[in-house]
Amino acid sequence: MARGKSGARAELVISVGVLLLGVGATVVAWSLPEAGGYARVGPNVVPKIVSAGLILLGIWLLAETLTGGYRSRVPDDPAERGEHPFLASAFFWISAGLVAQMALIGNAGFVIAGGVLFACVARGFGSTRWLRDSVSGLALALLVFLFFVRFLNVNLPAGWLKPILGAAGI
Amino acid sequence: MSETFSALMSGFGVALQPLNLLWGFIGVTLGTAIGVLPGVGPALTVAMLLPLTVKLDPTAALIMFAGIYYGAMYGGSTTTILLNTPGESASIATALEGNKMAKRGRAGPALATAAIGSFVAGTIATLLLTVLAPVVVDIALKFGPAEYFALMIFAFVTVAAVLGSSTVRGLTMLFLGLLFGLVGIDDQTGQMRFAFGVPELLDGIDVVVLAVGLFAVGEALYVAAYQSRQVETVEQVRGSLLMSREDWKRSWPAWLRATGIGFPFGTIPAGGAEIPTFLSYALEKKLSKYPEEFGQGAIEGVAGPEAANNAASAGVLVPLLTLGIPTSATAAILLAAFQNYGLQPGPLLFQTQATLVWGLIASMYVGNVLLLVLNLPLIGLWVKVLSIPKPLLYAGILVFATLGAYSLHQSVVDLLALYVFGLLGFLMRRWGFPVAPAVIGLILGPLAESQFRKALAISQGDPTVFLTQPISAALLAVTAALVLLPWIIKLRRRRA
Repeated sequence: MARGKSGARAELVISVGVLLLGVGATVVAWSLPEAGGYARVGPNVVPKIVSAGLILLGIWLLAETLTGGYRSRVPDDPAERGEHPFLASAFFWISAGLVAQMALIGNAGFVIAGGVLFACVARGFGSTRWLRDSVSGLALALLVFLFFVRFLNVNLPAGWLKPILGAAGI
Repeated sequence: MSETFSALMSGFGVALQPLNLLWGFIGVTLGTAIGVLPGVGPALTVAMLLPLTVKLDPTAALIMFAGIYYGAMYGGSTTTILLNTPGESASIATALEGNKMAKRGRAGPALATAAIGSFVAGTIATLLLTVLAPVVVDIALKFGPAEYFALMIFAFVTVAAVLGSSTVRGLTMLFLGLLFGLVGIDDQTGQMRFAFGVPELLDGIDVVVLAVGLFAVGEALYVAAYQSRQVETVEQVRGSLLMSREDWKRSWPAWLRATGIGFPFGTIPAGGAEIPTFLSYALEKKLSKYPEEFGQGAIEGVAGPEAANNAASAGVLVPLLTLGIPTSATAAILLAAFQNYGLQPGPLLFQTQATLVWGLIASMYVGNVLLLVLNLPLIGLWVKVLSIPKPLLYAGILVFATLGAYSLHQSVVDLLALYVFGLLGFLMRRWGFPVAPAVIGLILGPLAESQFRKALAISQGDPTVFLTQPISAALLAVTAALVLLPWIIKLRRRRA
């Protein structure tokens, strides 16, 4: 359970982060109007309690960080957790897929954006078969699209495929 | 009692209508198919499929949801037995023996005892739910806001502080969930809170986005970035699926005992199915005539925990339906499904929406039968689902996850929020912060605030109201004891 240097730094960042979140929330909570009426419990009371709680919990986490680290903490060494070391490229590819989908879904439509997301996530999980992944992604997204739009009446953007899907009567 | 019976019978009238039967069928099939996927637990299954029901009528949608809920658990047990890496904590106990049985070529009987045991436990537990629900409803009708608030505090504290490895990390996640729950327009005054003028935040943070972000996106990021050293192997189902006479003899008592353990644990806020499955495993190991088989593939070790898991999951529905209080992440998402239709589970729902509630309960009996009929014959199909390569599996999960979030408002902001919650989920997983308290805080927080303010409105601002009402005071005292007792014991031990 020994704590490495980077582990200690990360714990410090998380604890201070919770503390700062609590402080920020407190500032917002105190700026909310009283407007309590006869009950004297306005929309600002619970926010004050919750943000005070976050400050206390941030202090508590900080206290654990400074006195030897989080109690019953997750081991820092991936091997101890039965895992391989952090793989930044995997993290990057999945993030890239999600961001690409956000950028594409409005114009290119759900099917194309979903296909791109699928291919990127598969790449993040170590697949190198671009063609297979893209085709299966597009096929899955198309199936889902048809099911939602035709069967469940949920609106999804057709985007660039609108002429084709429209011609097929969808 | 006879009133309950006739209510249930009219419920069957609803559940057995062909169209509702069809939705139940779709629910159990989808639930099983998605629940089988490794890394996808019941909470994520229900959250991802929630948007499916947007355009359905409430009865059909909730019947489908009950099917998904039970189906996800059946599917999960198949994965647990055939794959050497258990997906979620509630199935670790099953994995101990089930995977060993499968390795020794006894996958068939292991799957059979899990499925039949789930059916037996699920049916008995639903029966108990049927009998118990009206009783709790009668009590709950006498509850005022102060009692409800105390009950919710009790649920918060047990889920966040008592269960799990760290009190402070559980509470931090609870308060983060509570803060998320405050975002948006205050119901009572129309005041905008923590929305910073962003129009998408005015409606508040959707539980689907939070749960899917934490469970699906966070999980995918984590599993890809920290790849497990354990090589996954799917066991083949060879030979007969049927249990021998000996298997039956050893399974029966385990199913029944486990139901007795699982159901009560489900009804109290004790974090759902995790504890009862371990208790059942320990009990079976102790009572077994073949203790030496434990660790090598003892059938009782599969029969017990699986039955306990299902009984607890039915038990969770007692506080959810009768009090409107979710005690697990999955239950919190089910509560959100009700809220999507403007329905608030609780004693009043049994009066105003009797057909819907009893139709839902009746559909659980039907769903259990459907699952038993569906699951074993289709085992070949589920095995195929299991052997989908990991890259395609997670890619598919994320397509569904983003679909769920996007179809809420057709807004990119929801996709962005999904990614942000995914990053948060990654950090939480790495640093050992639990997910369930955040989800429960988000969904139960606004309800608790509303009861808190109502109670104070009635008492004209006197905060002692929570301590002068006997039921509320008792609940708060139990809550305080749960938090303080472990500390006191620790202190006294240190002194001794």
